[in-house]
Amino acid sequence: MTRAGPAPRGARAGSRSASPAGGRPRGTIAAAGTGGTGGTSSTSAAVPPAAPRMLPFRDVARMLSPIRRQLVGCAALSAAAAAAGVLSYVAIAQIARTALAAPGPAAESRAVWAWAVGGVAGAVLRLVLDGLSAHVGHDADARMLHHLRIRLTRRLGVLPLGWFRAAGSAQVKKAMTDDLEAMHHLFAHTLGSVLGAAGALTVALGYLLVVDWRMALVTVAVPTLSVLGFRRAMRSSSGHIARLIAAQGRISSAAVEYVDGISVVKTFGGSTDRVLDRFDSAQDEHTAAYRAWTAENLATASVNQVLTAETAILGVVAAAGLGFVRAGWLSMSDLLPFLIVGIGLPTSLNPLMRSTQGLRAARMAAGHLDALLSLDPLPEPAEPRVPVGHRVELDRVSFSYDGVTDVLSDISVRCEPGTVTALVGPSGAGKSTLAALLPRFHDVTAGAVRIGGVDIREQSSQTLLASMSLVFQDVILLWDTVTENIRIGRPDATDEQVRAAARAAQLHEVIERLPGGYDTVLDEAGGGLSGGERQRLTIARAILSDAPVVILDEATAALDADSEAAVQDALGELVAGRTVIVIAHRLHTIVDADQVLVLDRGRLVEHGTHRDLLARGGRYARMWWAQDTGAAA
Amino acid sequence: MIRRLWRLWPSPGLLVRLWLLTAVLAVLQGLLLGLLVPVLRALLRPEPDFGAATGWLVLGSAGLLAYCLLSALVAPVGFAASMELAVQLRRRLMGHVTTLPLGWFTADRKSHFVRTVTNITGELAQLTFVIIAPAITGLLVPITVVSVIAVVDWRLAIPLLVCLPAGLLVLRQTRRTVAEVSAAMEVGGNAVAGRALEFGRAQPVLRAAGLAATGGVRLREALDLHRLRYRRGLRRMLVPELAFSAVVATAYVATVLLGTGFLLDGTLPAADAVALLVLAVRFVEPFGGLGGHASGLGAMEYLVTCVEDVLRTRALPAAPHPVRAVPHAGIEFTAVSFSYGATRALADVSLRCEPGTTTALVGASGSGKTTVTRLVARFFDVDSGSVAVGGVDVRDYDHTALTAQIAIVFQDVYLFDTTIEENIRLARPDASQAEVLAAARAAQLDEVIDRLPAGWRTQVGEGGAQLSGGERQRVSIARAFLKNARIVLIDEAASALDPENEAAVSRAIATLGDDPARTVVVIAHSPATLRAADQIITLDGGRVAECGPPAELLRTEGIFARLSRQHEHTRSWRISARTDPARHQAAGDAGPSVETSVSP
Repeated sequence: MTRAGPAPRGARAGSRSASPAGGRPRGTIAAAGTGGTGGTSSTSAAVPPAAPRMLPFRDVARMLSPIRRQLVGCAALSAAAAAAGVLSYVAIAQIARTALAAPGPAAESRAVWAWAVGGVAGAVLRLVLDGLSAHVGHDADARMLHHLRIRLTRRLGVLPLGWFRAAGSAQVKKAMTDDLEAMHHLFAHTLGSVLGAAGALTVALGYLLVVDWRMALVTVAVPTLSVLGFRRAMRSSSGHIARLIAAQGRISSAAVEYVDGISVVKTFGGSTDRVLDRFDSAQDEHTAAYRAWTAENLATASVNQVLTAETAILGVVAAAGLGFVRAGWLSMSDLLPFLIVGIGLPTSLNPLMRSTQGLRAARMAAGHLDALLSLDPLPEPAEPRVPVGHRVELDRVSFSYDGVTDVLSDISVRCEPGTVTALVGPSGAGKSTLAALLPRFHDVTAGAVRIGGVDIREQSSQTLLASMSLVFQDVILLWDTVTENIRIGRPDATDEQVRAAARAAQLHEVIERLPGGYDTVLDEAGGGLSGGERQRLTIARAILSDAPVVILDEATAALDADSEAAVQDALGELVAGRTVIVIAHRLHTIVDADQVLVLDRGRLVEHGTHRDLLARGGRYARMWWAQDTGAAA
Repeated sequence: MIRRLWRLWPSPGLLVRLWLLTAVLAVLQGLLLGLLVPVLRALLRPEPDFGAATGWLVLGSAGLLAYCLLSALVAPVGFAASMELAVQLRRRLMGHVTTLPLGWFTADRKSHFVRTVTNITGELAQLTFVIIAPAITGLLVPITVVSVIAVVDWRLAIPLLVCLPAGLLVLRQTRRTVAEVSAAMEVGGNAVAGRALEFGRAQPVLRAAGLAATGGVRLREALDLHRLRYRRGLRRMLVPELAFSAVVATAYVATVLLGTGFLLDGTLPAADAVALLVLAVRFVEPFGGLGGHASGLGAMEYLVTCVEDVLRTRALPAAPHPVRAVPHAGIEFTAVSFSYGATRALADVSLRCEPGTTTALVGASGSGKTTVTRLVARFFDVDSGSVAVGGVDVRDYDHTALTAQIAIVFQDVYLFDTTIEENIRLARPDASQAEVLAAARAAQLDEVIDRLPAGWRTQVGEGGAQLSGGERQRVSIARAFLKNARIVLIDEAASALDPENEAAVSRAIATLGDDPARTVVVIAHSPATLRAADQIITLDGGRVAECGPPAELLRTEGIFARLSRQHEHTRSWRISARTDPARHQAAGDAGPSVETSVSP
């Protein structure tokens, strides 16, 4: 069938080239150093394509509100764990100070042992609290994923059907998996690492301030500088990141063209140079973008690399401390806490800096989810009206996807119950779009579609959809048993009715031959049913639903001859006595239709029975003769 | 891991530079920390002896300066390296894939390859830097520190020395668990994704059944199950992570207790005890940090495997003395068997296509038609038997010489995003305008070109999106004409071609077959093509079921005769909402009278 909306090929290529590619740009290059700054969890965070929007923290908090208590609990536990960890180092510093103060052996040894036990307790406590924090965090993580998936499902259930047709399914998948995965970071790590770092810093800094405030200020200067440098590196990179993402898109599409084109080149000769050139130039551009991106930040990154190293803080503490001792401002034993606890300061900060990248990606994913969750639902009438009869009417209908170009303009037609209306015309004429307006995949831009005398926008969508059967070429199967796949046409149908429908669709024998019979579960691959059989299954579903209106895409040519014949027999059962609207590809199938609508570029150019139109010698007649001579060639 | 990374790049010198720099920095850091021992020994006397410390302090300052200078190099070297590594690896992958047989290029493999060459390569290049470097630091700093401790007092080094291998063992286990759990989670995630996709696609059906808001029981079940599995997976990963922390914490606790004991029983001087406890903390911190890199390494291992898989695929073996000329266009299969993995596609197939004839392959999907055409073009090599072109086994040809004689018209034709003319001309870049025009006309393409806004100069869009499937196929046929290929293999589009296109493609195929030097093999669907064929070969379950001219086969009660009757049946089918007994009769088994209309 010709598809409504953007051309499938274009859409596919577009979505492929939009996927993040190449060396993913990280939020910052400052984090790309050694010294323990390298991200781990952040590596799985993709930067979304085109115009990524980070969700403001306020909205993130709103989104996370169902797990607020767990998140806070997890963060508090990890702050306590970090504090306990620092305490175990404080204990060592105290052991050293006590041992060196040396007033009397007995008192000294008791105090030293007390601190040693404190150190042990700190280490053990940290382990336990870390475990607990992770446990609570993971629980929150799993709960939030579940909650958001259900929220998404609810929202998707009320969106206009046309949305799913355009690029919807892929977006659903992205939201349900990739985006939620990226957000996992937000649930499980971010708050924990922020509060963890805060806990560690508070305890460490508090202790050092008590020991000697001047030395404490000197010690804290180094990590402060590195945080400032880090922020600078983060800020300046945004423009380059856009260029980098664009360059990655080019690499991606050049790679797609290359592998697709290679079969052409291999079969028709020629050389791969042309395609390879394109790839190389894409890669060169990527390199240049990467270079520009890094060049801007190289100095900051290098300085930061030095500042985040433990060795740098060791140097500063040793130099300043020994100076202080020399000057008589500080005793040697009071310098020791700075060597033990102070040197560890960057280590507690690093996870914090690391998590900012994951956080950005998570917020972008959250932005995407939020956008999905706030899509406008298909407007449902406050007081739905119930149609009387099944006459289908299009009253001066116009439709446009983009609000500029009309895909259908000013079409009026009336389809009486028990008649067949055929839609014919070249591809792109608007046949599929017209058919898609009836189940309200889209709402008309002007005019009205009425079924049973009631505008379809004034009917509840369940009433509307239950009144029609859609038999399209892209077969919709549920990942469920054969029985349930048919029964969904009428959820209260008995097993016997399901079987009767399968028989009418010439499918009963086929199902009986399946390994599990009617209980065989159909997966994405179709569970052993051929294309024609899957199509007949949807016809069985339609027969069961007994809907008075049937909308049909007669594109059975995709099937091999065996299947095609069987599908046609099944269709014959389905359409009998109903209001049938069929998109016809082979004109000979519709010679008995009650009316034929010839569409061209969104306009109704001819309208009548096969015989009338043939006699008129216009557009339809030309199509008919073209097909006829084609078949006779 | 390091070794596997090493093999990926043709010139891994950059890796050496990067890793060596990191290693030197780590050892230097450990040694600088070690300097604390003599410094503290000198200064932790009742009266600090700065004189005794001066030498060490000068040494320390020099070391510090060196450290800062080297450390400033890390960022530039790292960026340059990861960029260069990505470029090199991409070139290597691209170069490699050109050597692979056409049979390799399935849709799945192509999309996986694109992902490999873009995301995976980029990520891998970056991770060699972002993951490996901190891992080196996390390992070498503790090793240097523990060496210093051992030199000063070996007793204190014992718990730390035990902790090193024990911790690494646990990390190994962690990596394994992470890999296992991630694989399981990916399966679970895909299941949910599948459900989600289904939910999106099935909206019309679900809404009609009133199930749109909940997505039905199955979706809910899948989500609940995933939540359970996910949490269980996270918990499983937590165990080795905590075990590693516990190993490190135990070593730390033991060192603290031992140090305190030795300090108090007087076997360790106070200054040494203090210095060693400071060092013990500097052992624990970086080593404990390694735990955070285990999952990163696991992720990296997966990426490396992806790249290796592509590079491991080999081209088909080349003949030692390749034949460079194809004597004639005849095709002969002798007792050919072929399987895709475990799936048997062809069993003992023998057939012959004479030069100048058109052979139509017929059969249900999965009967082996496509495989026959693929083996002619040597997409794959047969398991047994032989495929000969021009009387010579295809394996004995120089592959370029063979493909120069063959044109393949796929069902889904790929066009480059340029003009139609360019797309046809690529089959023979030096062809004259008149030759291109003639090829287009023979392929029934001229009327399409007339209709397009810019005619010959019309851009076809990415992948040829501006043209319909049948039109793209005709462009491909025009290429075959222009190439003047002596063997043309066609997979006639079966999917929803509109009748005009179908007729045009059939006419184009018939014109191809008019050349007495050319052999045409077509996987045929349209009756016109079938009627025009010189020979029909019916395949059934990978075996030749029937073979002969169409008129002859129609007289038998075989598969082809049945298929033809069904074609007729479908052609006589009419849609009508009226219950019409006559129609039902017509739609029943077609009588013998129908056969006559299929005569060639």
